[in-house]
Amino acid sequence: MQEDFHYYATYCAAFLAGYSHAESLDIAYSAQFVDHCSRTLLAKIKGPSEAATTQLQLELMEARTDRVGLQDITRIWSSFHFLPKDLHAEKGKRCSKLYLSKYRLICGPNGDLVVRTVELAKDKPLQSVGIAMHVLADTWAHMNFAGTPSLVINNTNYVFSELFPDGNGYREKQINFVHKASTPDDLENSIYTNSLYQSSENSIMNLGHGRAGHLPDYSFVRYKYLPAWGEYEEIVKDNPSDYMKAFTQMIFAMKYLRGDIPAFEKNMYDTEAVGPWLGRINEILERRQLIACEDWKAFGEELSGQTVEDYAIDRYFEEYTTSSAEDKEETFLGRFIRGAITHKGMVIDEIYRSGNKLAGKAK
Amino acid sequence: MNIFQRIKKILLALMMILAALIFLVSPADAALLTIIVILALGLAAKGIKDIIFYFRMARHMVGGKLILFQGVLVLDFALLTLSFYNIPKIFMLLYLAGVHAFSGVVEILRAMEARRTVDGPWKLKFAHGVVNIALAAVCMIFISNISIAVLIYSAGLVYSAGVMIFDSFRRTSFVLIE
Repeated sequence: MQEDFHYYATYCAAFLAGYSHAESLDIAYSAQFVDHCSRTLLAKIKGPSEAATTQLQLELMEARTDRVGLQDITRIWSSFHFLPKDLHAEKGKRCSKLYLSKYRLICGPNGDLVVRTVELAKDKPLQSVGIAMHVLADTWAHMNFAGTPSLVINNTNYVFSELFPDGNGYREKQINFVHKASTPDDLENSIYTNSLYQSSENSIMNLGHGRAGHLPDYSFVRYKYLPAWGEYEEIVKDNPSDYMKAFTQMIFAMKYLRGDIPAFEKNMYDTEAVGPWLGRINEILERRQLIACEDWKAFGEELSGQTVEDYAIDRYFEEYTTSSAEDKEETFLGRFIRGAITHKGMVIDEIYRSGNKLAGKAK
Repeated sequence: MNIFQRIKKILLALMMILAALIFLVSPADAALLTIIVILALGLAAKGIKDIIFYFRMARHMVGGKLILFQGVLVLDFALLTLSFYNIPKIFMLLYLAGVHAFSGVVEILRAMEARRTVDGPWKLKFAHGVVNIALAAVCMIFISNISIAVLIYSAGLVYSAGVMIFDSFRRTSFVLIE
């Protein structure tokens, strides 16, 4: 998912859940900041490096892929972007422990960990709510990929086609992948950028949905492909439908966090809250565009009647850097950092307690 | 490429330069045999690694059998290379020149693919492939004069090593989807 959903759509969901305009902005900023809080950024603001919620391309280029290096990558990506669905999943056939460990890190919605994630944010500052909403939303967009480098899990092949609504069914169009970061995805001709094929199991190119390009990040797209782990069974991914579920599940989760609902349960979506705007939201989700910030922003402003400030990464840097050591904890970023460390620790601990060593042990 | 991959590439290039120097300084049969053995061991290690990876991980993966086939093929090449231990020097050199030419063809194919689908330079890769094939061809033309053929083959090794070292210091194009 991109800024359009993590910032603007999260703002809309928070507002629909009952938060005020200012609170919704804080939640949205925190949700989007998860995609920017790298070690490089933390070093710049003199924050603790263990709070990193993402890695920059340059950091990944230099990342080690030995056991310790892989654990570091897995901690960040599994915790914040590819939350595992089922840490005790079984594979039909007999397989090695290493394979099973990687298989169990496959991301998906409505797992036990997403419930733990939302529950952990209960009675916590808004920054923790934002982090939880980022993680929850990504379980929908990034499902079927794992937050650890793995060829045998995350690879895709030439069986990859885009589906276009056509009458009662869908028309298929083969997707062509290139590896040109400088060229934007060509939506008209279904030419998308993905990461290079690397036969090395632990190559960084095999992290997450790199081999499927940005397709999981676009709300409008429907596609069919063969996941490397799927025993030759095709998966049809319907992003408009999944993104709608993500949106309505975020509203449900935030209503729980506000205390309006007694418990957060799996497979619960607040479809009532979006009822009056269903057509409008579907229209935004289905529009073929690289980024939908403008549409979501207009919708957010229509909902709250307030101006939704654009996301500015450095909005709270000065407050954090100019605060004394004892006051830092209570700054906006101080709370975000605390929330990120707590969430990461919970996920690593759960993965470790399931007998999976790929993320190491929580400190 | 991370720092370890760069160091690995430089070390491989240095080994290639060392092999070329051995050929030039002491073009005895023993030197050629040593290279044959090293090549065979390298191929065998790669083949066995692929086969183990298949049984441990890739057998559950869509298209994973390709890794098994690749492993078996490379291991087969390793055994073939080792079987050249007892043949006359001229055939050993022919085989090595053939391997050099094959790597040139692979390099050209990769360059063509890079031109089509990848950002960044492809011309160096293409030129590397062409020069490799040309050197192998010249080596085969002069195969009757072993000392000249060895000289040409050594020049090819040094050239390839130079390109590898240059490549390892270059900023690499990196497409990663977050």
